[in-house]
Amino acid sequence: MPLLAIHNLVTAFHTPAGRVPAVDGVSLAIDRGRTLGLVGESGCGKSVTAMSILRLVAAPGTIESGTILLDQPGGAVDLVSLPEPALRKVRGGRIGMIFQEPMTSLNPVFTIGDQIAEAVRLHRDVTREAARARALEMLKLVRLADPGQRLDEYPHQLSGGMRQRVMIAMALACEPDLVIADEPTTALDVTIQAQILELLSDLRRRLGTAILLITHDLGVVAETCDDVAVMYAGRIVEQAPATELFAHPLHPYTIGLLAARPAAGGRQPGPLATIPGMVPPPQHFPEGCRFHPRCGYARLPECAAGPPALRELRPGHFVRCDFAADLGPPHAVATGLGAA
Amino acid sequence: MAALGFIVALLLVALLAPAIAGTKPVVCRYKGRLYAPCLAYFDRRLEPAIFATDRFRGTYPRNLKEKDPESWAIWPLIFQDPYRSVRNDEWPGRPENPAQDEGRPSWQNPFGTDQAGVDVLAKMVHGTTVALLVGFVSMGIAGTIGVIVGALGGYFGGWVDMLTSRITEIVMCIPTLVLMLAIISLLEKPTIWHTMAIIGATGWTGIARLTRGEFLRLKGSEFVMAARAAGAGPVRIMLRHILPNALAPVLVPITFGIASAILTESSLSFLGFGPPPPTASWGSILNDARSNHSMWWLVVFPGTAIFLTVLAYNLIGEGLQESTDPRLREARK
Repeated sequence: MPLLAIHNLVTAFHTPAGRVPAVDGVSLAIDRGRTLGLVGESGCGKSVTAMSILRLVAAPGTIESGTILLDQPGGAVDLVSLPEPALRKVRGGRIGMIFQEPMTSLNPVFTIGDQIAEAVRLHRDVTREAARARALEMLKLVRLADPGQRLDEYPHQLSGGMRQRVMIAMALACEPDLVIADEPTTALDVTIQAQILELLSDLRRRLGTAILLITHDLGVVAETCDDVAVMYAGRIVEQAPATELFAHPLHPYTIGLLAARPAAGGRQPGPLATIPGMVPPPQHFPEGCRFHPRCGYARLPECAAGPPALRELRPGHFVRCDFAADLGPPHAVATGLGAA
Repeated sequence: MAALGFIVALLLVALLAPAIAGTKPVVCRYKGRLYAPCLAYFDRRLEPAIFATDRFRGTYPRNLKEKDPESWAIWPLIFQDPYRSVRNDEWPGRPENPAQDEGRPSWQNPFGTDQAGVDVLAKMVHGTTVALLVGFVSMGIAGTIGVIVGALGGYFGGWVDMLTSRITEIVMCIPTLVLMLAIISLLEKPTIWHTMAIIGATGWTGIARLTRGEFLRLKGSEFVMAARAAGAGPVRIMLRHILPNALAPVLVPITFGIASAILTESSLSFLGFGPPPPTASWGSILNDARSNHSMWWLVVFPGTAIFLTVLAYNLIGEGLQESTDPRLREARK
């Protein structure tokens, strides 16, 4: 039984301009102790998926349908229909979350120690001293230099990388089974990024926490994830174990993403490849396969007809493309979405 | 800074008023026991009973010495009473207070006396208590109501916000001074507490609007989201996370409100609708000045005091405004 099983999740925003389905039928499963990377461009709905797990989606967004089953001792619960007080116990207690912007995710008027201790005391009935001790322990765990001194410092006295470590410490303080990391390294520079990722892997090994890592950086995924799911325009288009995905990308979008990476170490043989066109806005999703206007392998009229289903083309490897099995050579793309 | 120092000085004056100006000893030893009769200036019931049974009738200096030669007393700095004139030879060797036009400022009465011979300095010292009390209590009430209403509206939004906003708008339309005149004329015994309650009950609207704005803004902050993700409930988020961040700009209207409350109370006293005599307040001294045009000291001293106090509060408010304004904060970084 997977730790978290999202089944057909639909989260839509009811704006004055109409209904916008940011997450349109997403199904994911995360097993205990594994890391799942959720990749996609900005605007594909990956952050909304993450927020939907803990029902933190801001109004006017609502979860319209689908189930999110969390396996707890005592049976699985559906997070979508769980009453608010029970959900608050899950938040932070069983599922921790790390946000993208460490600069603003900490309350500026409280010390670091206070904030971590608060995370502890929300879920455990301990004394203030015990909570403070636990906070110190967590700061040591995330390898923050000078932890004793940092406990009494304010967020503005720490750098971005240090704040992100504090966020990780807060998320892990109650030993959750799953940590959702929403682009945890996007706002940090590359060297710090490497440190944070290494820290996350290390913690996962030591604590056995499962991680849902949301990112747009394929390099990050290759470094840290066991499994990968690629998202485009509100749908999962490809899902496979990481090594399998990088070795055998099957969906044209994934192929395009991997081809767009700069060549590692050495000269670039020619201009960088791109995927022509732009991510469609949710109000104007294309008919049929949502990627087909930008797809170099698209075959009209089939690709514009019905939305393709997710099919297992290789063991453990799911693709949402009717023609992925034999794509043929790419052709020039005449995008209906305007030039890139 | 000077303004802050001035207000602190006023606070000290208000707290130590009976020790600064009064006809009752600060501390005295009478018939073997220690008493503090000056506290009677704060509350009539605090006057030690023994002085009533021994028929002091409020005249301490001579009676203490006559009835108990062993007694000693520490006297206030200025031997004058805010409620009555000092009688002839009450303090050995001192003549009674002059009254009317004779009462111009002199060594005996640095600020002069009013038409009944009551020392103006003593009245002003004790009036400081009233002035500051009015400021703090009415703004305390207004601040509490305002922050609660604003926080509820800003955080919950929806119909709660609509309800609180409409209530705020309705109360904003109520003219404070007129309401106060109406209520005071209806009451049999209007006291300073009624005045403060009304100023507080009508003055919270600006604070509510500001608080609501701050809560609306902070509700969407990342750290609030992080707190929710950690499992905090709405009450905890409002009180512990948002409120400390929202209070900084609210201090500004509260400070200005104190100044305005003092002015309102002085205006009411000046018009004669303030606390009834013998309670001393700066505005009531000005009221006496209305019927005695030649006694300039009745206008200058309380007028200057009111002016300086309101100025001080306004300066503090401006200083707070400058230090909490986010735009200026960015420039100073």
